[in-house]
Amino acid sequence: MRVQAWGVRGSIPTPGSRTAAFGGNTPCVQVTGDDGSELILDAGSGIRELGFHLSGRCKRLHILLTHLHLDHIQGLLFFAPLFDPEAEITVWGPPGRIPLRKRLARYLSNPLSPIEIRDLPARVAFEEVPPDGWRLDEFTVRAALVAHRGSTLGYRVEHSGASLCYLPDHEPGLGTSLSSVPPSWISGLGLARGATTLIHDSQYTDEEYAYRRGWGHSSLSDALAFAQRSRPEGLLLFHHDPGHDDVRLRSLAGQATEEAARLGIDGRVQLAREGTAFDL
Amino acid sequence: MGPERPEQQVDVPPPEVHVPLPDEQPLELILARNLISIISIAALLVDSDGRIVFFNEAAAEIIGAPFEEIGVLQQDQWSARYGPFGADGKPLPPDELPVATAVRESRPAYGHFSVRAESGMLEIETGAIPLSGPAGYHGAIVVFWPLPPAPGG
Repeated sequence: MRVQAWGVRGSIPTPGSRTAAFGGNTPCVQVTGDDGSELILDAGSGIRELGFHLSGRCKRLHILLTHLHLDHIQGLLFFAPLFDPEAEITVWGPPGRIPLRKRLARYLSNPLSPIEIRDLPARVAFEEVPPDGWRLDEFTVRAALVAHRGSTLGYRVEHSGASLCYLPDHEPGLGTSLSSVPPSWISGLGLARGATTLIHDSQYTDEEYAYRRGWGHSSLSDALAFAQRSRPEGLLLFHHDPGHDDVRLRSLAGQATEEAARLGIDGRVQLAREGTAFDL
Repeated sequence: MGPERPEQQVDVPPPEVHVPLPDEQPLELILARNLISIISIAALLVDSDGRIVFFNEAAAEIIGAPFEEIGVLQQDQWSARYGPFGADGKPLPPDELPVATAVRESRPAYGHFSVRAESGMLEIETGAIPLSGPAGYHGAIVVFWPLPPAPGG
């Protein structure tokens, strides 16, 4: 499968020259199977550009939402395939007391939107993820609730022996020590264990995290500690803070590499950039 | 004079108990463990199979041993060691415990009975809160606190 990041920023889009290198779009990751099957992880503002890329070429796809915070759904209204009457799109999302379609309609409706969810031209289905793994075209997908504010999923996508774990908004270190707690008591570890690539939240520096504990995101140290326990082959740090410009992120990338080496984390560790693409 | 404290009547099983746990606990239990591990009221965590999968330091002070030493216990193992016991000194039937009510009726439940503490038999009050999430019931938090000895008791 081929993986491409179309949005790696957290919280709010940050366009401009100071963020051009890492990118300012909010989360969206495309996963393409060998036969052309398409999964899209989250619908942040990055999905807009992906929509142009897919428009007219892909009539059937799945969008897997981790949760419904605005930075993960704000691109839906600007995703070209949703306006293609021939497109068949399934939107998967976290379970809740209210049906997924109705929860999303809060955003895709007046007064926040000129288009009502029922008026989307594409054939769109809204599904809550099943509790066990399921097949989506050539992929096997597993979802589980993870530590973040509100009902939030992590995903593991497997294909031909390779696996991608996607935990863009995740605070597994809240109220516990990731270095010492037994593994079955770490949020998301069952999804991430031994993944070929782990995409993981590292929104804050350790200094920032001290003031944002409980907001649902990880410090760089906790992201690396989580990787130390889950042992992915590659780690892509994700959901960059909107206050971190390219200069700051380059500095954090160097810090991450040094810290990963100190912790004995094998494999590649890098900060995700918009446009980052790789094969698994 | 307060109520008579029940005598210890049950053999205490050995401490080495290793109950296998699932690969990853449900998030509701993980967050509950994180919470009770930092609060100062005695609390324990029961999973959907009735196992006591964690208890905190305040609970450890009462029963006289830390979780790291005791490990996960099946409900009958916990009951045999620590109770709770009825007025006759015998372990209460599992169905009559607040945690059973919490699970059965999906609501917080309350109880008052005796447990075997490090210091001897101890009267406690307890409350059980079911942990239900989108995927259903995952367990319960049980908090308990000792009652002051009755005057003259």
